[in-house]
Amino acid sequence: MKHALPVEELARDERFVRVELFTRAIDPRTVPDDRQRAGPRIKITPDRPDAPDAARVLMHGIFMGELQALEGAGRTCWDFETGSGPQEAPFELKLNMARQCWDEARHCEISVKLGEWMGTEIGEFAEATFLYEAACNPDPVLRLTGVNRALEGLAIDVFNTMREFARAAGDPVLEFCEDWMLADEVTHVKMGSDWLRKLTEDDPERRQRALEFQRVVDKLFSLGGFRGEDDDSPIRLARRFRELAGFADEEIDEIAGLSREARDEFLQHRAALAEDARERTGTDG
Amino acid sequence: MADPKKPRAAFAPWDRRELPGVFDVEESARRVGTYKWIEMRLFEALGGWVATVPELDVKLRLGTHCYHHAWHAELWHKRLPELREMNPDRLTGPPNENMVAFVAALTEPEAPELTIEKLVGVYRVLIPHKIAAYTYHLNNTSTITDAPTIRSLKFVLQDEFDDWRDGEMMIQSLLENAEDVERAAAHQARLEQLLVAAGGIAGPGTIGDPWAKPLEPEAEVPA
Repeated sequence: MKHALPVEELARDERFVRVELFTRAIDPRTVPDDRQRAGPRIKITPDRPDAPDAARVLMHGIFMGELQALEGAGRTCWDFETGSGPQEAPFELKLNMARQCWDEARHCEISVKLGEWMGTEIGEFAEATFLYEAACNPDPVLRLTGVNRALEGLAIDVFNTMREFARAAGDPVLEFCEDWMLADEVTHVKMGSDWLRKLTEDDPERRQRALEFQRVVDKLFSLGGFRGEDDDSPIRLARRFRELAGFADEEIDEIAGLSREARDEFLQHRAALAEDARERTGTDG
Repeated sequence: MADPKKPRAAFAPWDRRELPGVFDVEESARRVGTYKWIEMRLFEALGGWVATVPELDVKLRLGTHCYHHAWHAELWHKRLPELREMNPDRLTGPPNENMVAFVAALTEPEAPELTIEKLVGVYRVLIPHKIAAYTYHLNNTSTITDAPTIRSLKFVLQDEFDDWRDGEMMIQSLLENAEDVERAAAHQARLEQLLVAAGGIAGPGTIGDPWAKPLEPEAEVPA
């Protein structure tokens, strides 16, 4: 078995359909047309008529994320020789990644069962593979910042939001499961924070590269500013849990800033598209 | 109520533990070092295979089992300094080159259509050998002086038995015709020969005479 498995070779059964992240985001089955026109500020609340559909989409996305997180953690166990060099992974880091494999496998099981409970099935929605791609970085520290800190950090925000949604919707099973998964995600993000500090203690340049990679992933997954701190943010930034996971206040502020930037860019992009449409059709849009 | 001042034996009548054991500290440490090495190779391979296996149930089980073996590696890693090996890496290694060849063959399958080979190598060859080695160690070490190793062996064996059963059931669910059965048997035979040549996971004497010589591979083992 080779080291570093390209994303194209991720093994799937015939139910799965793979698309680009952007394609998935504009897929009307993922986000209905009217919602896309409304912009990024569409929070899932139980009173929304399409709340069950929106929750199913999100749950399927969670399942796909967990699956790729499992695969990524597994590859980190295999892809690197054991050691303390820049292209190696320490024994204890591999143990943490193996532990994460088990946790992600459980999360897959949980999300499959929750998905069935919510009325969706595996493969109903498309799969974007960016999480696994972030897990393929040749530097293990960048894997940790890209996956454990950025994407698992996003998972903290998502699970916390889903837990609140479940509470509001009166779904104790969903709330119970999200609460447990949230605990695991805090552990994974803390692993990332601890290893980042440890492995780059004497290498500020490597730390900088790792944090820059984290910023890129965080920005990409801000997806039009859907994650933020406002009441209407679809995904709320979970400050308290991020602190538990080793994020400093200024790091959380930075993510909030990235999200605002992404939202502004989305609004500008949408305004430009509207202007373009007006010019082409000679109407007021 | 029994008189609390009445002298009692240190060993209760039902406690049959004895001092003698087959392994001295040095031999115990050597074996534990080989156990750690093979557990590491196994959890790394299981982790790597997760992304290469299309069968969803197998993918998830491999992820779970990956951690079991990582935890075993951690237990053995922690035991080594207690056996006077202050640099655990020194004793973390294969017993011989034949064992390295076995692991290379075990971890060779990669393509998504080779799930049977991946599972057979782990669950029909390696794990049964691990169970044999751990059981031999458990039954032959001093039940008093080496109690910490015994405690770890019991935890580890519980996982091994559970994973063995899981793996065997996954294999049986994938074997659908005579060709599949032959594939599984051929791969098992190939790996078994390599592991026999290594003398077991701890080398010659893994489950018996420590002076036993390894079997020489007669010829190139066919792929």
